[in-house]
Amino acid sequence: MSEPAEARTARDLNLASCRTCCKLVPADQHRCPRCGSVVHLRETDSLQRTIALLITASILYIPANVYPIMYTDQFGRTEASTIIGGVVLLIKLGSVPVAAVIFVASVLVPLGKLIAMFYLVWTVERHSPLEPRQRTVMYQVMEFIGKWSMVDVFVVAILVALVNLGGLLVIRPGIAALSFAGVVIVTMIAAESFDSRLIWDEMDNKNGNRPA
Amino acid sequence: MDNTIACQACDLLVNLESMRPGQRASCPRCGYRLTRLRPDAVERLMAYSIAALVALVFACLFPFLSFASSGVESVMTLPQTPGSLWRNGLPLVAILVAAFIIAIPALVLVSLLLLSVPLARGRFRPWLKPIGRWLFHLQSWAMVEVFIIGVIVSLVKIAKMATVTLGLSFWSYVAFAILFTFAIGVLDRYQLWNAIEAAEKETAS
Repeated sequence: MSEPAEARTARDLNLASCRTCCKLVPADQHRCPRCGSVVHLRETDSLQRTIALLITASILYIPANVYPIMYTDQFGRTEASTIIGGVVLLIKLGSVPVAAVIFVASVLVPLGKLIAMFYLVWTVERHSPLEPRQRTVMYQVMEFIGKWSMVDVFVVAILVALVNLGGLLVIRPGIAALSFAGVVIVTMIAAESFDSRLIWDEMDNKNGNRPA
Repeated sequence: MDNTIACQACDLLVNLESMRPGQRASCPRCGYRLTRLRPDAVERLMAYSIAALVALVFACLFPFLSFASSGVESVMTLPQTPGSLWRNGLPLVAILVAAFIIAIPALVLVSLLLLSVPLARGRFRPWLKPIGRWLFHLQSWAMVEVFIIGVIVSLVKIAKMATVTLGLSFWSYVAFAILFTFAIGVLDRYQLWNAIEAAEKETAS
């Protein structure tokens, strides 16, 4: 597709699109006249903030997997289980579909999201074998799946509240629940900090539309 | 430029002048869903929000799940879910869980009512803009559907240990989650702010 060098994006016309209400605002204005939000051509320091949050989440991911997410006290014995341990236990119990849900939500999604977000940030200012459109879809998928990782924290919350039969059988939460909730929240903020319009800017610049 | 929108995902300018009621618009370059023109959006928002709030109140009042083993029974209600985490030494996780499954969804629904009731009559109110600004930030932190999956996974995990019964509140929460998802599905940033702007102009004149 050969595109003529004409104004195609809001940035080409030096217009900032308000992130809150979608109004197009001249880029020299500080606030959106319609909703009062602060407007920028692009989110300020989007890549730096995203990288900082991704690193934070990666560090939190270690205690989330090393420490127990829950304890089961049964007949005077205490059994600690980690996230991976819970998946293994479910497979042993024969609940393979549920084990798959927990494995996808607690292991695959957080790890995949961290890797995908690092990749998106890395390729913004470099050449990528993926088309901008594919990377935009990738970003939107990452944005959508983020909160689904909270499933394991909710499972712990429900079991702790429900399974409390005095000395017989008690389930208690472990510290990994906190770290893991941290991973989910920080990656969600990281995804929100990333400005997907940056993916397209490089291509738009190449087409010779860079504003003065 | 009034009928032009810049794609939130890729910044491409798209003219929406030819949009007809009921149609959706997607970005021709990146595929991002821009907006949907629904003449009855405000009424739908109002109806779904009221129904979802009622279902949420029911979900908080009755037993959610009960668990019985060797003659001993324990009953759990929805507010107890964060409560037990708090008592077990994880107050921060307790607050987060309470926020994600009860407080934030409730705030979103109250906000939707505060927006849709005046807008349905074309009236402007001073709180429309502040609510319109933070509603979308708030909405991305509601995790009602994730919690339902969490309940189902929990059921499978403990089904072999004891007898688990689903309470009235569980079904209320399922209804609430469905209605909440419908309400969020109607919510449209661009159309909502056009409606707020139109109401403001009408009230000023």
